[in-house]
Amino acid sequence: MADITETPVAASARRAPIRMPERWFAWALVAPAMLFIAVIVAWPLAETFRLSFTDARLGGESFVGTKNYTDLLGSSRFHDTIVRTFFWMFVSVSLKLVLGLIGATLLNAAVPGRALFRILVMPPWVIPIAIGCIGWLWLYNGHFGLLSGVAQRIGLIDGPYEFLAYKTSAFYSAVVTDVWVGTPMVTLFFLAAMQGVPRDLYEAAYVDGASRWYRFRRITIPQIMPVIVSMALLSAIWTFNSFEVIWILTEGGPRGATTTLIVDTYKVAIGNYKFGEGAARAVVIVVLLAIFSLIYLYFLGKVNRHYGSGK
Amino acid sequence: MATLELQNISKSFGQAKVLHDIDLAIRDREFVVFVGPSGCGKSTLLRIVAGLEEATQGRIVIGGKDVSRAHPLDRGISMVFQSYALYPHLSVFENIAFPLRVAKLPEAELKRKVGQAAEILQLTDKLQLKPGQLSGGQRQRVAIGRSIVREPRVFLFDEPLSNLDAALRGDMRVELAQLHRKLDATMVYVTHDQVEAMTMADRIVVLNGGRVEQFGTPMELYHHPASKFVAGFIGQPNMNLLPGIVQATDSGGVTVELAGGPTLTLPVEPRGLSAGAPVEVGLRPEDLGLGEGLQMQVRVLERLGGQSITYGAVGPLDKVCAVLPGDAPIREGETISLAINTNACHLFSADGQVSRRLAAPALVA
Repeated sequence: MADITETPVAASARRAPIRMPERWFAWALVAPAMLFIAVIVAWPLAETFRLSFTDARLGGESFVGTKNYTDLLGSSRFHDTIVRTFFWMFVSVSLKLVLGLIGATLLNAAVPGRALFRILVMPPWVIPIAIGCIGWLWLYNGHFGLLSGVAQRIGLIDGPYEFLAYKTSAFYSAVVTDVWVGTPMVTLFFLAAMQGVPRDLYEAAYVDGASRWYRFRRITIPQIMPVIVSMALLSAIWTFNSFEVIWILTEGGPRGATTTLIVDTYKVAIGNYKFGEGAARAVVIVVLLAIFSLIYLYFLGKVNRHYGSGK
Repeated sequence: MATLELQNISKSFGQAKVLHDIDLAIRDREFVVFVGPSGCGKSTLLRIVAGLEEATQGRIVIGGKDVSRAHPLDRGISMVFQSYALYPHLSVFENIAFPLRVAKLPEAELKRKVGQAAEILQLTDKLQLKPGQLSGGQRQRVAIGRSIVREPRVFLFDEPLSNLDAALRGDMRVELAQLHRKLDATMVYVTHDQVEAMTMADRIVVLNGGRVEQFGTPMELYHHPASKFVAGFIGQPNMNLLPGIVQATDSGGVTVELAGGPTLTLPVEPRGLSAGAPVEVGLRPEDLGLGEGLQMQVRVLERLGGQSITYGAVGPLDKVCAVLPGDAPIREGETISLAINTNACHLFSADGQVSRRLAAPALVA
């Protein structure tokens, strides 16, 4: 008994001298990661913010105050770009979510060869985007492309049609390719969520006479709703910042039809060497995405409360 | 309410046959419990009745109508699952109302029925909560409520109490028995817990390896087990099985010499046994008392207050159990003498068949 009462005292007495070094050791462990974040994230962010108040070019820079921002606010072209970016994001994310949901539902169904289909979903996500986009460039080609060729064969069009040469078709062609790239991951996330729904819930509903559609609507969707909302947010941010697809297919053209904020920023900052103006655009992107994310997170909390089990 | 008949039901999963020619006739308003060890096929049988599994062969007849191929809804059954299967995103009200919403019942009638079920199950003040905010027992009641509102002809319960702690399980057992009386419904209940089976059932189906070992009232199973398996499965603590050799038989009973123990004349039907046949004498722990008979070296003594559960070695057996009075003057390590009530003994032949007892008490339902 005497030993037991003495032990904690003895232990704390032993521990006391190493308490400070332990704390320093902990800092030492996280220091490389913190240094990495400081160099790769924090410093560029701060530098971008600083640059946005300058007219930095290749030849030098000088402080211009809020001129870059006031120019952007007064530019109708920039307003169009913002609207186009949100429209691009809305169309692409909506399609990814709907197709992902349909795909996950099919892959979750007890059909023969399900494992094979699950593997076949992966390639668009697994192969490098550049290679996938080059494939799509060929598909969209008016003279040698599959789509134009098939459309001509079945009599939909009279002659070669360059999908990427016209404003509307170029925009939606880029959307299709972006959806092709982004849907597999959405599908797999939804599939994983669906597989986590307890089988008993479906059986109980089946015994109660609920149809497939009713079970999907009242059990599957509510049960995976937090994942749907989370994926919508992530997918929206990725799509908002989607650069490779647009750049490889159209470089933002024709006549700016596929120029989103991120493409515009690249063109200004890297293409025209207007680092200050480009930085202002980048800051606008960060602010817009931050506002967008906060609104989304607010709704995510509401969704979790609504669809949660009350725990 | 309705009768439920299972006719020649068999079920195979691939090459594995899990149910063999099950024939049962469950009476209207009867509470029948399927009991057996894990893997005996009791849950599969219940799922076949529910329509969640299809029998490989055989017929299911509910209320005189063949429903073997019918949708669960058309069978007039409702089922309570082991996991409760409550919809976590819906309130208690919506969980109970779920089958009524599926059936598109008018809102006023739906509210009335849910209210009635909630009142029966004492859930009225919990209707707006979500399942995650309820205790295990309350969740189970919600699951039962979802069954009640359907007004089924047959209620099916798949191990509904196995996720609850021991104390709550006891309470819920009483509640379910009361509910059965209140609803006056046909109920089929699956459990692996023989105490649940004995306390709640009008009749018990003991399943083993996909076959019905015995179908009878709890007292029939206790006093006249149809096989060594049933004898060992029913009763708590388990029946002791002491090996012996038949010395003589006549119409009054069978004389058996226990291995390392006394020779007893048991009042049982000889049923083809002859001198020299190896047998096992079944002795329930509660039928042993202090007195002249078996010599047992006490190894473990569990004092429960009213009873002393005693485990020890008798002859070649090292785990014989006796239930003695709570204040029995015995200690671990000492050798005690146990009196055997021969009228209470069971006799099993080497192939597990039982000889009918001649001195068993009159059966009560």
